[in-house]
Amino acid sequence: MDEPLSIVSERVGAAAQPVRHARPPRAEEDAGERRYRRLLHRLPIALVQIDARPLAAVLGALRSDGETDLVACLEARDELVRTVRQIMYVTDANQAAATLFGAATADALVRPIDFLFQVAPEAARRMMIACFEGKRRHVELMKVRKLDGRVIDVELTVTFPVPPEQLDMTLLTFEDVTDRLRTEAQLRQLQADYSHATRIATLGELASSIAHEVNQPLAAIAMNAETSLRWLSRDDPNLAKVADLTARVADSAHRASEIVHRIRAMAARDVPERGPLHLNEVVREALLFVHHDIEARAIDLSLDLAAGLPRVMGDRVQLQQVIVNFLVNGLQAIGQGNAGRGRIEIGTALDEKGAVGLFVRDDGPGIDPENLDRVFDGFFTTKKGGVGIGLAICQSIVAAHGGRIVAANHPDGGARFSFALAPAAD
Amino acid sequence: MPVIAVLDDDAAMRDALRDLLQVAGFTAIPYAGAQAFLADFAPGRFDLLVTDLRMPELGGVELLRRLRAMGANLPAIVVTSSSGPQTKAQALREGAFACLTKPVPGDVLLRCIGSALDRG
Repeated sequence: MDEPLSIVSERVGAAAQPVRHARPPRAEEDAGERRYRRLLHRLPIALVQIDARPLAAVLGALRSDGETDLVACLEARDELVRTVRQIMYVTDANQAAATLFGAATADALVRPIDFLFQVAPEAARRMMIACFEGKRRHVELMKVRKLDGRVIDVELTVTFPVPPEQLDMTLLTFEDVTDRLRTEAQLRQLQADYSHATRIATLGELASSIAHEVNQPLAAIAMNAETSLRWLSRDDPNLAKVADLTARVADSAHRASEIVHRIRAMAARDVPERGPLHLNEVVREALLFVHHDIEARAIDLSLDLAAGLPRVMGDRVQLQQVIVNFLVNGLQAIGQGNAGRGRIEIGTALDEKGAVGLFVRDDGPGIDPENLDRVFDGFFTTKKGGVGIGLAICQSIVAAHGGRIVAANHPDGGARFSFALAPAAD
Repeated sequence: MPVIAVLDDDAAMRDALRDLLQVAGFTAIPYAGAQAFLADFAPGRFDLLVTDLRMPELGGVELLRRLRAMGANLPAIVVTSSSGPQTKAQALREGAFACLTKPVPGDVLLRCIGSALDRG
């Protein structure tokens, strides 16, 4: 199985020449062809024409050798991709392509396609696979090196001709997306900054609740330590008791430090980090921040977390933030009027589309139907002194996770906020 | 040996209170909530109550009110974390002997218990 390379180069030997030179402009070249060339050269988008016949020959050879899994084959035999990059030629390029690659003239790009894939060799492999699978188009974001050595981000589109068109007219377009990607990165940064700022604001609102959560284990620690000293100062020190108390001191200290750890995670300005998460865990962690408020106000909290949910891909802290925000809104809604007895339901479930969903429902006055469409708008608020950024951030966080967020009124009263995320691919 | 009921919904705090009272020579019976305590309550069974104020299902103030309504002459000491002055005042109006804020130094609590028992 290791010799096909030579076979391949024999089979494709004839095609492994710069075809452009093998095909000089002829007098009988028809008007259609000339029009096509004129168009190609004048198009404002970077366009490169390649002769993909050598690729077709390689793929044909593999196919007749009985190869069906090209992905595995190419992964195992990197040299095939390298060969193809050497034996396929750019046969034509336009001025926009010359500009994009920093070439003096379009002709300077007429050479083996190798230079297109120097930074992203795997793009060549994926292009070959697309061709093998008979795809008409292949699009991907990749990096290319300009002739001056600078690397830029481009979106590559490969258009494979379909028979009876000739593979020697395979077209590649390159769009410089460096600016677009930079803008997107800036937007992501801005979003992260805003969500960080609202997290800090939320932590501020929840300060007394959080203080209580930390104070509780500290109070237990102090008391247990004193009790230990009392046992030790007796004439017959009860060491078993002291050992037990010391173990509980350690437990409470761990609990306090766990709480501090979560608060610090919420307060930190970390780059969002995606990983597979159990949404139920995130819910339990989020509850920590409002636990005390819920108890202090004797709010009836019901937790309905579905068992066996698939994990979701997400940033733990950001998703916590969304859930805390939902809960804080619920608490505030309950405080607004005597609509209900003070009840919050929070639950997770798999929805009918296979997405992992979370909802928070309160029995407050609900959302004015007029405002339902606007609750996620930035700077929209009905709260006195509210800035109207919380739910807007929630929406952008959920959107960045590829999910959807919904605000609704429950038929039995109260507002219901929910989001759903696709399960993580295993 | 005086019998003291200890009410706190936080397990660590409840155990800590129980052990402190034990080392000081009291018999401490811990309860996770007011309902469990009320179910166990009988006149003369306890000499003193040490209770938190913020607890799910039934809060400390309401518990004191019910005990008073039942005619239970049970001295109570409130040990609470972050209840506002209003709630504390309410608890005192409902007959609490004292309101202490967590973390409570052990000797302060024990002194307080001593005087409450003396008066009772």
